[in-house]
Amino acid sequence: MDIHSYEKIWLVLAVLLIAGFVSTVTYGATAVGVQMIDDDGGTINANALDEDPRFSNPRVEQVGENHYAAYVVAQQFIFRPDPITVPANSTVTFYVTSPDVIHGFEVVGTNANTMVVPGQVSKLTVNVDEPAEYGILCNEYCGSGHHTMEGKLIVKPESEYAQGGSTDRLRHSNPVRRASGTGSPTRRLSSGQLS
Amino acid sequence: MTDEQPVREIGHDEFDPNGTLALILIYFLILVGMWIFMYFVEFLGNELTVIG
Repeated sequence: MDIHSYEKIWLVLAVLLIAGFVSTVTYGATAVGVQMIDDDGGTINANALDEDPRFSNPRVEQVGENHYAAYVVAQQFIFRPDPITVPANSTVTFYVTSPDVIHGFEVVGTNANTMVVPGQVSKLTVNVDEPAEYGILCNEYCGSGHHTMEGKLIVKPESEYAQGGSTDRLRHSNPVRRASGTGSPTRRLSSGQLS
Repeated sequence: MTDEQPVREIGHDEFDPNGTLALILIYFLILVGMWIFMYFVEFLGNELTVIG
């Protein structure tokens, strides 16, 4: 077969490009440790979340020296707990499930993003660094109040967190939503319907 | 008229499509640059990243 020398150049370049794509993704999966969210979280009876010790009282719990578990219920049209408060420079594993329909759990502007399926626990672990406030939103259409379904993830400095930042669920159960300028009347209505 | 124009025949290896080569190299560099930006800056730099 007669292949022109220029053609050989771009054949080689194309193969190199593919090898480069594969190797960067491999680098991400090994050196950086990027993982896919799978069915590790297991299944759950979506009609009986109240009977599950993890989700009957959605909360953040310390499970290791610097490891926290956040048990989150995504339901029409709120996330519980809200806000989710975790300390800075820690590892957080989110367990998210839904009692009603499919929701999304997206920490806005980050790669922490999963589907929340009734009957299934979505499990995702992230490292949080600096103190920050993130929005959380539902990115699967879940009903008439979908557009108002949002929560907050607050990364507190370790010192503040140690002073009881994780236990004030009741105080935060109806937080001031400074960050959101939209839909507040609807939000109050939909939150009220559920409480 | 066309009959009077000189016709030069060249072989397969004598024809060097330099413009095409340059275009492909430019496309290649754009692709590589965009991939590096997309993966390392937009994706890996977009903390929080799922690690488990």
